[in-house]
Amino acid sequence: MSEEKKVTELGDVVSITYLTRDNCTFTKNGDFLSLTVTLPKEIGPDGEETGGTKTYDRVYFHRAFPYDHPYAFISVLDRESVEIGIIRDLSDIGPDAAELVKSELDRKYYAPVIDRIVSVKERFGYTYWHVISGGHELTFTVRDVYRSITKVTQTRIFISDEDGNRYEIPDTEALDRKSYRKIELYL
Amino acid sequence: MTELYDIPKEVKAALEAKGIPYEKVDIAAKTDLDDGCVPCDNYIFVADGDIIILAGSMIGRLKRNGIFKQPKPVRHFTELSYTHYSLSDYEEFQVEELLSSARIVARRRADADSLPRTELIANLSNTYKNEAYKFVRKINALIKGENNESSGDNNEDKKDEKEELFCPKCGRRYADPERKICMRCMDKVHIIKRFSIFFARYKFQIGAIIFTMILTSALGILAPYISSGFYYDEVLDQNGRFYGKILLVIGIILATRIISILVSIVNGVISSRVAAKVTYDLKKEIFGAIERLSIGYFTNRQTGGLMTQVNNDANNIYWFFCDIVPYSIVNVFQIIGIIVIMLIMEPVLTLISLVTVPIAFFLIRKVFAILEKYHAKRYSQSRSLNSLLSDILTGIRVVKAFSKESEEAARFDVRNKSLAAANMKASVFNTTVFPFISMLIYISNMLVLGVGGWMVIDGKMSYGILLTFISYMNMVYNPIMFFVDIVYMLTDCLNSMNRLMDVMDAVPDVVESKNPTPLGEVRGEVEFDNVVFGYEKNRTVIDGISFKINPGEVIGIVGHTGAGKSTLANLLIRLYDVGSGSIKIDGVDVRDISFDDLRKNVAIVSQETYLFMGTIMDNIKYARPDATDEEVITASKIAGAHDFIIKLPDAYNTRIGFGYKDLSGGERQRISIARAILRNPRILIMDEATAAMDTQTERRIQAALDNLVKGRTTIMIAHRLSTLRNADYIIVIENGKMPEFGTHAELLAKKGIFYKLYKLQLEALRNIGIEE
Repeated sequence: MSEEKKVTELGDVVSITYLTRDNCTFTKNGDFLSLTVTLPKEIGPDGEETGGTKTYDRVYFHRAFPYDHPYAFISVLDRESVEIGIIRDLSDIGPDAAELVKSELDRKYYAPVIDRIVSVKERFGYTYWHVISGGHELTFTVRDVYRSITKVTQTRIFISDEDGNRYEIPDTEALDRKSYRKIELYL
Repeated sequence: MTELYDIPKEVKAALEAKGIPYEKVDIAAKTDLDDGCVPCDNYIFVADGDIIILAGSMIGRLKRNGIFKQPKPVRHFTELSYTHYSLSDYEEFQVEELLSSARIVARRRADADSLPRTELIANLSNTYKNEAYKFVRKINALIKGENNESSGDNNEDKKDEKEELFCPKCGRRYADPERKICMRCMDKVHIIKRFSIFFARYKFQIGAIIFTMILTSALGILAPYISSGFYYDEVLDQNGRFYGKILLVIGIILATRIISILVSIVNGVISSRVAAKVTYDLKKEIFGAIERLSIGYFTNRQTGGLMTQVNNDANNIYWFFCDIVPYSIVNVFQIIGIIVIMLIMEPVLTLISLVTVPIAFFLIRKVFAILEKYHAKRYSQSRSLNSLLSDILTGIRVVKAFSKESEEAARFDVRNKSLAAANMKASVFNTTVFPFISMLIYISNMLVLGVGGWMVIDGKMSYGILLTFISYMNMVYNPIMFFVDIVYMLTDCLNSMNRLMDVMDAVPDVVESKNPTPLGEVRGEVEFDNVVFGYEKNRTVIDGISFKINPGEVIGIVGHTGAGKSTLANLLIRLYDVGSGSIKIDGVDVRDISFDDLRKNVAIVSQETYLFMGTIMDNIKYARPDATDEEVITASKIAGAHDFIIKLPDAYNTRIGFGYKDLSGGERQRISIARAILRNPRILIMDEATAAMDTQTERRIQAALDNLVKGRTTIMIAHRLSTLRNADYIIVIENGKMPEFGTHAELLAKKGIFYKLYKLQLEALRNIGIEE
């Protein structure tokens, strides 16, 4: 052990790979994205060499803070769900790549937004919802309604139905009075 | 052909218009989102080596041909797009699960010079996920050239499954596909009928309850007549038939009162007896049903507080049958009786007095609806306050460690304040609204008093009758209030019944064989034959694992966390059943072995060590209550538990469990090992049994266990590879598959996954100063 005791910064203990336009290129491959990444070569403690230029034919994206930062701190994963690196902010990877990644993220985190609530009927412990989302009528069933509503903030909620689908109400106060009254009790 | 979804004839017609006869279709499926995630109806067909996607929307509306005729659906398919792929271009299809939706993607066959490419086939919501997985499995089998026609019967089953996913009445999906009951369409009578069985055996008592209730209310109706109208007109009036006979009349009044009290005591005694018995019966039935269920039921649902729920629900159901039903009958009688008497006495006055009743009824209903809302709010506020409180108290060590007391107090304050606000609102509403309602009743009193007064002055009616009339009038309001309230009680009771039905109807996934093959003396041969299993449908955890353990052999199973090691153990003891393939003990499929035989011969010591409330002795003996004290000590010695037990003041009689002595993780584990050892099984499974112990203790127990496992078939699941050194051979599990197996030495020589794990652990041990 070393004699001099120095407090290490947390950042020195583990290094995080941040992907920027300087070290990575996203390209459309088929309907999804491939990634070429160049990282400094390093030799790990077990003698394994990491780094260099590598191409992944398909990469996956995951938001680290889906509610707080939908387009920042995006974890980029390979086919085996191993993290390649993190995009600190979409603007770091250049406008074209950002556009590509943004559409992938929007697709992955897609959840119908409820614009209006036509009816919420309770029957035998289940609630039957009939809502309007993007001009389409949707019907779904929710079991244990109190537990199925996730409050992200005071006014932003997600409702999970019996099949595991999520529906978002971005601002409950922005709903029309009639709709709000129908869900008021569950908030 | 496999139809994963009912294909409407309009869509079939659209497909045939493209020149593809429907008979040629191999797989037909449906998804519900288009490329931009807009809801639509996508039909996917696989025919003649082609994939055809017909996107569009089915528009259905109900058309009524006559006022009294059932409406008929008229459907129309609007085609939006038609895409066509060649199946031979793809090598594998996959379902990718996203957050609130999923998609089917396909990997293109790779060209030599370009990157492998993945293409989107269809988007779907989670609702269609199961069908999508089935579709992908079928299409991949088709690509690989596996003939799926061989399992013709199986296809029939699939078809049945498909048709039963939807309620035939309203067309919605069943909330729980396992339970083919549509909550929307279920009628209340059906549920009530089911639970009335529990009361049927007490029909005599319930009859008596109703009878006594009617008697009490009849006496109740009689009482005002005697004490006011009759007393005034017939006893105090000089012209009355009973003039002056005050004592006699008071005697009659007293007698009716006493009879009424006696009757209600009888009523109370009978109903308390029935209550106790019925709730006992209900709980027994439900607990029996819960115990019959397989472990899968408990992992799939939130069972925290299941028994509390069952208790509440059983009480609710009792209330329904022994309170709501009798009271409803009695109240109906009472209302009718009183109104009839009033009509006979003075029809005009009756109509006047009842004018406010409908107004009061609807007003009270409205008020109750609002009150219900306040109550619900108050309930959820107090629930959130309580959960926060228990959260903080459970984690008080962490709160103190990070000195967060004031923050937690602030958090508590916020919720406490909102509960107080909710409480206040409800109380204020209560105290302001109810005087108004009593005002309404008062108004009708005044009306009757006014009109009745004129009538008395005009000599059309006696003052006594007026008095009686007013007392009857006030008696009408109570039953009316009851019927307002009953709506809410009824919903509560029906919810309770439904929840209990959910438990009682749940079918255990793992069912004991009706004609089990007797095992006799077990040698201990275990064989896994191409076992496939997933906790959830379509998601395989174990994917085609085969191995055989000869009697008396010790095998080790290693692999990463979540690789499926414990699952293998769960399958062997039949906490779950295999998806396909088989597990055999001495050549007999475990599914053909009785639970008794199986559990007698296979014991498991797992990572979760649960000790029941009671003494250490009770807990060790749990496996074999007839074991002698010597045997218990021997078992504890082998498990390395004896030494610490003997140091406890009460030794083997130490009480453990809630509120008693707290044992450390390692101690608990040693007791559970002793429990398994006492059972003396032919097949022993050690699932990370020594994981919670320090290296030294582990070594000691290991030495004892080495003696124990001699002659016993042993499966050792371990993280620490050193514990497996004596295993006859080792199986490496990764992603549900078995990439490596062999002896310790063989695996090291192979320099594969096992070698890597071994080296890493050696390194780690060396770093902390332990040499292997």
